[in-house]
Amino acid sequence: MSDDTLMTAAGDDPAEGLRAVRSLRVLADRLEALQVERARRLGWPWQLIADALGVSRQAVHKKYGKRFR
Amino acid sequence: MFERFTRDARDSVTRAQDIARSTGAGRIGAEHVLLGAAAQPGSVAARSLDRLGIAPASLAESVRALGPDVLDAEALARVGVDLESVRTQVEATFGPGALDAAAASPTGRLALDPTAKKLLELALREAIRFTTNRIDTGHLLLAAARLDGTSAAKALAWFGHDRAAVEQAVVATWADGERE
Repeated sequence: MSDDTLMTAAGDDPAEGLRAVRSLRVLADRLEALQVERARRLGWPWQLIADALGVSRQAVHKKYGKRFR
Repeated sequence: MFERFTRDARDSVTRAQDIARSTGAGRIGAEHVLLGAAAQPGSVAARSLDRLGIAPASLAESVRALGPDVLDAEALARVGVDLESVRTQVEATFGPGALDAAAASPTGRLALDPTAKKLLELALREAIRFTTNRIDTGHLLLAAARLDGTSAAKALAWFGHDRAAVEQAVVATWADGERE
């Protein structure tokens, strides 16, 4: 591995690093939606899902209430 | 403003909403209007793009590649996340295509974002420039090519055609008497 590659790998290029952060957010959002949907289908109450995610019941219900009932 | 739009131009905007929703965009951007126009069979935009050798599907592909909601596999790899193995794991639990299908898909009407509004405004200006009262999908395409810095313009540029080439194709399509 050249010095250049090492520097990029260490997150030295802000553009690359920021793109990674953005992609991680997108990824986390998608995984959250999948998991919440599954939990609802398995009959989990909103409060339990909220506790697992570390957010308020209102927050999780507002975000997914319409989509996943 | 839509009363001056041809039917195809109006349908492009409607289609743009469906395209935006299906890709989980959450708002209608200039790129969705461009794809909406390209997807209208026989429209001035579709015929002009055909002249440039751009198929609607490949245009959609280049928009997707430039879009903001992409999971950038390379960037993720640099922080130690292997997107492919995440995808494999997720699909094992949630089924094929689950990771992409999980992109937020809001219901109800989507709003036009500033780039889409700008595109419609530029289309009106293009119609004035070509001294016509009607705004057709050719004007939408010309406007998209003018929107520097947006993924609509970048997607067109990606095929190696600059604004002048796009204009030439649209003017040629009009000259063939292909109106909407």
